[in-house]
Amino acid sequence: MNITLKKVSFSYTDSIYDAVLKDISLQINSGECVVLAGESGSGKTTISKLINGLIPLYHSGTMAGDVLLGDKNTSDITLAEISKYVGSVFQNPRSQFFNVDTDSEIAFGCENLGIKPEEIRRRIEKTVTDFHLESLLGRNIFHLSGGEKQKIACASVDATDPDIFVLDEPSANLDLKTVADLAEIIKIWKSRGKTVVVVEHRLHYLRDVADRIIYVKEGHIECEWTPAELESKGTTYTASLGLRCMNLESLGEPNREDCHSREGGNLPSCSQTSNIVFKDLCFAYNPKFPILEIPTFTLPRGQITALIGHNGAGKSTLAQLVCGLCGSRSQKRAVRKLGTYLIMQDVNHQLFTESVLDEVLLGMSPKDKSAALEILDSLNLKSYAEKHPMALSGGQKQRVAIASGVSSNRDLIVFDEPTSGLDYRQMLAVSATLKTLANRGKTLFVITHDPELVLNCCHHVIHMDHGRIVNEFPLQGNENKLIHSLMCK
Amino acid sequence: MITLDPRTKLFLAIVANSVIISAPLVYSALMFAVPAILLLFEKKWKFVLAFFSLYLAAALGFEHLKTMDVGRVGTLAVSTMMLISHMMPIGIVLYYVMQTTKANEFMAGMSKMHIPNKVTIPLTVMIRFFPTVFDESHAISNAMKMRGIRLFSLQTLKNPFTILEYRLIPLLVSLTKIGDELSVAASTRGLVPETKRTCVVPIGFHVQDAVVFVYCIAVLTCFFITSKSKQSIIDIVSNLFS
Repeated sequence: MNITLKKVSFSYTDSIYDAVLKDISLQINSGECVVLAGESGSGKTTISKLINGLIPLYHSGTMAGDVLLGDKNTSDITLAEISKYVGSVFQNPRSQFFNVDTDSEIAFGCENLGIKPEEIRRRIEKTVTDFHLESLLGRNIFHLSGGEKQKIACASVDATDPDIFVLDEPSANLDLKTVADLAEIIKIWKSRGKTVVVVEHRLHYLRDVADRIIYVKEGHIECEWTPAELESKGTTYTASLGLRCMNLESLGEPNREDCHSREGGNLPSCSQTSNIVFKDLCFAYNPKFPILEIPTFTLPRGQITALIGHNGAGKSTLAQLVCGLCGSRSQKRAVRKLGTYLIMQDVNHQLFTESVLDEVLLGMSPKDKSAALEILDSLNLKSYAEKHPMALSGGQKQRVAIASGVSSNRDLIVFDEPTSGLDYRQMLAVSATLKTLANRGKTLFVITHDPELVLNCCHHVIHMDHGRIVNEFPLQGNENKLIHSLMCK
Repeated sequence: MITLDPRTKLFLAIVANSVIISAPLVYSALMFAVPAILLLFEKKWKFVLAFFSLYLAAALGFEHLKTMDVGRVGTLAVSTMMLISHMMPIGIVLYYVMQTTKANEFMAGMSKMHIPNKVTIPLTVMIRFFPTVFDESHAISNAMKMRGIRLFSLQTLKNPFTILEYRLIPLLVSLTKIGDELSVAASTRGLVPETKRTCVVPIGFHVQDAVVFVYCIAVLTCFFITSKSKQSIIDIVSNLFS
């Protein structure tokens, strides 16, 4: 089914003057796989919402122009009808499930379309074999990992067998291994002649599947390449557009001048020798199946250590242990003495007060306003001191959470996926913040799947698998090894 | 495992609620038994055991102490026991319904009773939301622990509302966001009030449903007879056999 956008403009407000999309025309042919890339806020997600009908049928705003699916204009039909033609997968795996168990979730879309139960069962069976989901059937979705949830989301739209698939940053919370599985799923769809539209920052996994990459900037289509064309232009070019790299292997090439001297300050020197040592980090919900068994591990003080490993390897559990959020009483006591702070993946959970300044003062004892302002200044937040934390952008919220950790005088700050779903420029900003913190003498421990972040700011890499540390190495000179560990090869 | 039709579960919940609030304790015990037995079939041994012992302790304590003069503190304890013994059966019925009813079964059951989708869909979303609330709440309490904000400390005792604020604001913000994303996802997948849904899980009445219905109606009838004639249920039963 063809998708045609004819001179579409859209604004979320009443006035067309602050439009997020300006006069966009785009033709996507049946069977094509098109990637919409661009920086955050460029309007690429809005384009995907035009295709799956959420605009104009769910979000209100001002719209001009026509969106045609085949020969049907989306503004003339209902969302229920569009859902027969278009299947959507969203960024956040936590919030796209309507059911608690996986089986019902895969059946959900079909049930809404009123398909007969026998036919639904047949379709589920086919989807499950195609996507190799046998081990995920009959499970509670709340107990699945992010990658598994995203696979179920794909399976659920696949079962309804639409002609068009729209994926809005599907890989944001996934490790590289699951991202590769996602690419396989897209390949299956393409081989069946389906049209696939992917909104994405991470381009590397789409290198072999995508037919076109469309670059959206400030509400209009700036340019268009084939993946090969974009790759041949080199990493510096893609980075200048705010896009993530096309080829992960090329990142691993040693002596890349640019990766250590990029904007945002130099890495602090590696000469310090003192280490923070953790001993006997073990954790199990059930004593027979320990989730974590680490006899000892060390973090070099004042430096940035990356913790890598695929979803479900025990990284988050390790972070929680290190921060005293789980584990035995003696472990917690030891951790409290050390002073650790966790910056959660969803920072909304850890902002409580009415102003940014209060947020920083909350953990301070004694409360020292000038010191608090100084911390805010170092994180470029001084001008927001009186704002409500929830009114800030994602990156700013993250920095407020960091500021509250710094103000409570913790020496070890743990980050859980600080760059998931961020474009290149935002990733660089996070990396600059991390470097600033390390320069202030903080020890940082970063859980991440993001090779570019690690290459940009980390000194050491710890690789975990099945609850154990399988490898530990300094980053310098081992760039290739890092990429391979991330890809789980 | 015994599966009940969602409509039976709804009936059970309604009967349990209406009987328990105004009736003497015997009825709450009678209603407690049904979900407890059903949960045993679901292999929730520990849960049933814990609830049963708490219920038994509260019920016996209340029955034993309700006529005595126990002083001010004692009254507080006795009224807590009363509250537990009367409310617990409602809790366990709801827990059973939540645990065993899938969203699609619930919707299918409701549509068989000709309840419009406009009512059913929000109700289903609500059921779907409970686990999310617990999930989010857990993450927030972790964040608070790390900040050193404890539920009982000098600071929170001085200013008990702050703790409420710290808990609720992040919870509300993230729940609003999840709720919005959830409804977007549901509507792109065709869940709108106008749809006629099908359901992969066959639903319908079986023997077990009949048993539960008969039992509930029997309890209800006893309740009405006793409340009219001011007799106790034990008298009625002994009259029947004499």
